[in-house]
Amino acid sequence: MTEDRQSPVSRRRYLQLAGGAAATAALAGCSGDSDELNTDTPADGGSGGNQSGNDTGSDGDGDNQSDGEFAVTITQGQMDAGLDPHDHRETNTDIILMQIYEGTLDRNREGQVAEGLAENYEQAEPNRVRLTLREGVTFHNGDELTPEDVAFSINRIVNNDVGGLASPQSDQLAGITEAQVVDGERAVDVISDGVNPMAIGLLASYGDVMQKSWVESNDSSYINSHANGTGPFQLSNYTQDESVEYTKYEDYWREPAEVDTLTINAASESSTRVNQLVSGETDIVENVPPQEVSRVNSNDNTRIEAVPSTRIIYNGMRYDVEPFSNRKFRRAMNYAIDLETIVSEVLSGFSDATGQPTLEGFTGYNPDIDPYPYDVEQAEQLVEESGFAGATLELHTPVGRYLKDLEISQAVVGYINELSNVEAEVNQRDFGELAAQLTSGNIEDMPHWYLIGWGNETFDASQTLIPLLTTGGALSSWSNEEFDNLVNEAGNTADADQREQLLREANQLAHDEAPWIFLNRQYSVYGASSRIDWQARRDESIKAYEISQPQ
Amino acid sequence: MSFAQFIIKRSLQGIFVVWGVVTVVFLLRFSTPGDPVNFIAPLDASPELRQRIAEELGLNQPLYVQYLDYLAGLLAGDMGYSYISGTEAATRIFARVPATVELAVAATVVAIVISIPLGVVSATRRNEPADYVATTFSLTGISTPNFWLGIMLVLVFAVQLNFLPTSRRPIGFAPAMGYLFSGNSAGIILWLQHITLPAITLGTYFTALVTRLTRSGMLDELGKSYVDAARAKGLPETLVRYKHALRNTLIPVITVLGLQLGTLIGGAVITEAVFAWPGLGTLVINSINTRDWPLIQGCLIVIGSSFVLVNIVVDALYAYVNPQVVYD
Repeated sequence: MTEDRQSPVSRRRYLQLAGGAAATAALAGCSGDSDELNTDTPADGGSGGNQSGNDTGSDGDGDNQSDGEFAVTITQGQMDAGLDPHDHRETNTDIILMQIYEGTLDRNREGQVAEGLAENYEQAEPNRVRLTLREGVTFHNGDELTPEDVAFSINRIVNNDVGGLASPQSDQLAGITEAQVVDGERAVDVISDGVNPMAIGLLASYGDVMQKSWVESNDSSYINSHANGTGPFQLSNYTQDESVEYTKYEDYWREPAEVDTLTINAASESSTRVNQLVSGETDIVENVPPQEVSRVNSNDNTRIEAVPSTRIIYNGMRYDVEPFSNRKFRRAMNYAIDLETIVSEVLSGFSDATGQPTLEGFTGYNPDIDPYPYDVEQAEQLVEESGFAGATLELHTPVGRYLKDLEISQAVVGYINELSNVEAEVNQRDFGELAAQLTSGNIEDMPHWYLIGWGNETFDASQTLIPLLTTGGALSSWSNEEFDNLVNEAGNTADADQREQLLREANQLAHDEAPWIFLNRQYSVYGASSRIDWQARRDESIKAYEISQPQ
Repeated sequence: MSFAQFIIKRSLQGIFVVWGVVTVVFLLRFSTPGDPVNFIAPLDASPELRQRIAEELGLNQPLYVQYLDYLAGLLAGDMGYSYISGTEAATRIFARVPATVELAVAATVVAIVISIPLGVVSATRRNEPADYVATTFSLTGISTPNFWLGIMLVLVFAVQLNFLPTSRRPIGFAPAMGYLFSGNSAGIILWLQHITLPAITLGTYFTALVTRLTRSGMLDELGKSYVDAARAKGLPETLVRYKHALRNTLIPVITVLGLQLGTLIGGAVITEAVFAWPGLGTLVINSINTRDWPLIQGCLIVIGSSFVLVNIVVDALYAYVNPQVVYD
């Protein structure tokens, strides 16, 4: 059987409508007047869409200024994993939240510890840091910051029983066991389990402060989609996976931000981000790949902002398997690599060569150590002396996890293959699988030779040396008793100068023993619009409070 | 078999197909390298933290328990929770559906508006310049990878000419229409500006395909004896071509259009990535990058289900358009 059939008129009508839509689309392209959009477009796009009345990123005319307001857009590679500042470990989420939430201590652009919500801080005892809070700080709901809020926030991170959350950030405040309000004072004591010379440094990098009563009166879903911090910007609109919009907080304890409205959105493709930048649709884009740098620099209205990051890339070698068990062989591998050429050609200069595990500018960095020179003869001779001439090696490398990781690995293997007495090849690995082997806690699960990266936002050598190089460290494939003793002693030394010296000695030992092929310090490469004054930071953060209009 | 019985039968078959999709997608997770815990936990996470994450996500349960839990959840409309953000997967996924459907429908509209007239002109002016232009266009369209086309369109129309925006979807179709009905046209213009390049990118291959299909179908129909009879009766040529020949040509075209709509919903991944279009495709890519399996599974199930649904609708429409079809 058949149903009643539709009249052909409706099909013709359909085609008329479709044709009309196409014509309208063409017309829209011709007549799109951004100024008109900025004034006429509704302030709220409703569900499934999000359009700000001060649209900065989508009008296509590059004019982010409307009604005299200074509006800025930042485009990342990915959006957030929710808005709870204690329930994530990703840099992209961090950047979205650092506009709203702050810690008791902060860091300046060079990575040095600075005051935050605490106007004073001191290592009162080897295991106790006292934070004195400043007056006049308010949350975005208007309530005043209290010492109870600060103690609650730190305890919510380090203690699973506080604040309804088992925070994944507990490792970031390593050694800290609790925070207590000091009776009769506007201060908080942060207690560690034993001597903790790192406590102040950790609090400068981690530990966002939330309002205790706000957290306790809202469920996880609400906390992950709303915000109430003390920072320079307050949340005005949140569309998960798409964009976060902010307005400046006028009652901020410092001078209010120069930026009036801020939008953070994301585009996973680097070329899409660069297109948005050069078209004037956004003001800052992250992770500009080397091949796109010239396009940004050649545009009159954009520039590259590149800065050494806190991330080191290296080739780990397992000390317990041949040929890497031999010190001479490990050193030979370092001499075999033309690191300067890798930095200049593979990474287009957006990296620094390294010769020790600690990066320049960090506590414990040894300024007397240079990267290994490129010396093929020396490398071949050391291989012969090691007794492992003819060795065949396999370098396990992730692909796309770090800037040019595969290309770096291919270059390393290429140089080693230039030696007359060693052969090498690259094994491309899924990052999750490789990470599982590296972090299993059993050295026998680890590949013999691998490329990995490590970011350390604390600007302190110990947070690299302990997990990566001490015996039993979370990612360590090396064991050296002298090195362990130096790092342990540094961890138990309250005297800053003495500690610095011990860490320098540890770095010298690591250089000499060569547990890694020392590779590069990765740069953070951003594209920025000429309509903003902004400098990239070393700690991979983007603080919109530091953005101003060019004079 | 009645039309209603036909629809019920196809729907039941569809349910089994979707169950198959759910099972395959679920098993895919266990044949794919990379433990989700290693993507969630930082590199230096302690074994205790890893264990805690695995327990919270139910990843320490036996496979069959996880599978049955997942099926039971699905029946209750629960697709689980995102490993990364902890939010409801279904909410995240269905929030993305409008963007993908808008793009797929817009690409289909682009294809229909261009391809059918082009195919007809090409067939009725066979071996004339218009035919050569149309066949060259369709060959080029079929041969052009859409990621390349998308990038080129952006470079020319957005970056160089500053004529259209490069990417993003600042407003959805529904709210834009809402504002239009209340007298504000800025929203719909903004929507059109943003969807034009992605729709052309996604629709070009489809346009070329339907142009060729329409051309060959029209040539076939125009050669049949009923067309000669119509002409002999003295019917105007326009009526012969568009009322009779084109109408019969459109039957297979409708089938392809429907099937292709399903393909477009699932196949817009690259286009969405190039244009930062917040649809299912970008959610799939981002979720794969972070091994966020509840989101990956949910997206694939929604895409698979929509394909099944579109097929059922096409079958029904096909029978509706062509009275010679017998339900069995």
